[in-house]
Amino acid sequence: MIEYYTFKHRGADEEYKDEVFLRLVPTLTVAIFNGSKLDSPQSQSLLFSEILSSEEGSKSIDYLNNVFEECLDKESEYLILRVEKTGIESIRRGSVSARIVRQGQISLLPNGFFGLSADDRIVCATSNFFKYLSEDGILADALVADSCSEWMNMLIRRISDQTQLRCGNLSAVTLKLNS
Amino acid sequence: MYDFSLLNQETIRALIVALVLFVVAFVSFVIIAIFTLFKTNYYTTKHKEKNHLICDVAYFHERGKREDQEDSLYISPMDKFDESGLVAACSDGMGGLLNGEVVSKFVTDSLRENYPYGFDSQADNAAVITDISNQVYEQYHLGAGATLVMVHIFDDYMNFYSLGDSNIILIRNNKATLLNYKQNYVTLMIRKLAEGGLDTADAYKDTRAKGLIDFVGNLNCNVQMTSRPMRLIENDIVIVSSDGVTDSMPLNRIVNHIHFDQNATGIARTIKYGVKARKNPRQDNYSAIVIKMKRSFV
Repeated sequence: MIEYYTFKHRGADEEYKDEVFLRLVPTLTVAIFNGSKLDSPQSQSLLFSEILSSEEGSKSIDYLNNVFEECLDKESEYLILRVEKTGIESIRRGSVSARIVRQGQISLLPNGFFGLSADDRIVCATSNFFKYLSEDGILADALVADSCSEWMNMLIRRISDQTQLRCGNLSAVTLKLNS
Repeated sequence: MYDFSLLNQETIRALIVALVLFVVAFVSFVIIAIFTLFKTNYYTTKHKEKNHLICDVAYFHERGKREDQEDSLYISPMDKFDESGLVAACSDGMGGLLNGEVVSKFVTDSLRENYPYGFDSQADNAAVITDISNQVYEQYHLGAGATLVMVHIFDDYMNFYSLGDSNIILIRNNKATLLNYKQNYVTLMIRKLAEGGLDTADAYKDTRAKGLIDFVGNLNCNVQMTSRPMRLIENDIVIVSSDGVTDSMPLNRIVNHIHFDQNATGIARTIKYGVKARKNPRQDNYSAIVIKMKRSFV
C-alpha cells in the first residue's frame, strides 16, 4: 500500500507558479509542475493538467513525457512519478527532483524504473523546496516520522526555521511504501 | 613400450630422484595452497564483523553561570562496544522548575541501569524512556522535568531518541544538521500556519512558544525516535548536547570552529572554549558528548 501527502504553499509570492497533480487510474501517478522560469506559468500548468488527466495520462511514462515535451514550453520543469507493482517509474525535466530513503541512506531517485522495498520513502519537490534542506535533515526526518504527513511537517519546520515560509512557492509530495 | 634396460643405472637413479623431488614439490604446493586459501577465508570471516567504524568519544560538562549543574550525561561502557554498541545520552533539567539536577541525574542513572539496549528494539527502548518519564511524573506531578537526547551507535548505524529541546547534531561533509526536532509550541504553530497557507513569522515572535510540549516527567510522553537506523560514514561527528551549547554557539559556528583532522577530544575542547569565549552573562549549563566515527586499522 502506498501512502502519500501533498504540500503546496505560496511562500509569500503573488501567485502559484508550481502545481501538484495526482492521477489515481490506472495506478497512482504523482506529478509536480514548476513554471518559475515561464512568463505565463498558469496557462502551461493548465495544459499540463489537461494532458495528464486525458487518456494520454494513462499511457506509458515515456510516451507521456514525449507528449509533454511536444506541447509544453521548453522552460517548463516537471517530474512525473508512477507507482508500479514492484517499484516506481519516474521521469523529470529541469530542477524538480525526488529523493529516496532506503536502509538508512538517502539518494537522488534516478530517471526510469526503480524497484522498491518495504518502508522505502520518497520525497519529490521543486528545487526551491530542497534548497533549504540538507540531505541529512531529510533523512533524519524520514526515519523518525510515522506517517507521510508527519514527515512533511518536519521538513516544513526546517524550511520555516530559515525562511518563515517567505521564500517563494513550495511544492512537495512525500510517499511511503507500507509493508 | 620403453625398454628401460637400455638405460644405464645412473640415469635411472637420476630419473627416480627427479620424480621423487617433483612429487614432493607438488604435494608441498597443494598443501600450501590449501592452507593459504583456508587461512584467508578464516581471516576474512573473523574480521568481517570487526571491519566497522569505531567511535572516538569525548565530553564536557560545564555549569555556566547557573548555581547548580542541571545537565547530566551518560556514556555506556566502551568495553561493551562490540557486543552492544555505544549509548550516549544528555539530560537537561528544565529551567524554572524545581529539582532539575535531581531529575536529570535520575534519568541518566536509570538509562545506565537499563543498559544494554537492543539496537533493533527501538519501540522497547522508547518504552524504557516512557517508563522513566512516568516515574518522574509519579514523583513530581509536572513540578519537575528534564529533556533527554540519546543516541545508540552499532555497526556503523545510529538510532536516536529525543524528548524536549536538547540537540542531536550530525556534522558531515563540513555541514551541521540538527537531527531531532524540538518538541515545543513553535512546532505546533508552524504546522497550523503552514496548513493555512500563511507565513510562520508569528510562531517565532512569542517567547512562550518555546515552552515544551513533551519532556521527561510528562505522563506517557511521546518519545521521538528513529524507526529505522541511520547509516554513519567515516569522519561523521555526532554531538549530543544540552541547549546551553547551541544557545551560545549556533550550528554554523560550531562547524566554523572545528577542524576535521581533530579527534573527539579536540572537537569537544574547541566547542567548550567556543561557548566560554562568548562570555554570556546568563550562560546556561552546557554539556555535550562528542562522537567521531573513525576507521579502525588492523
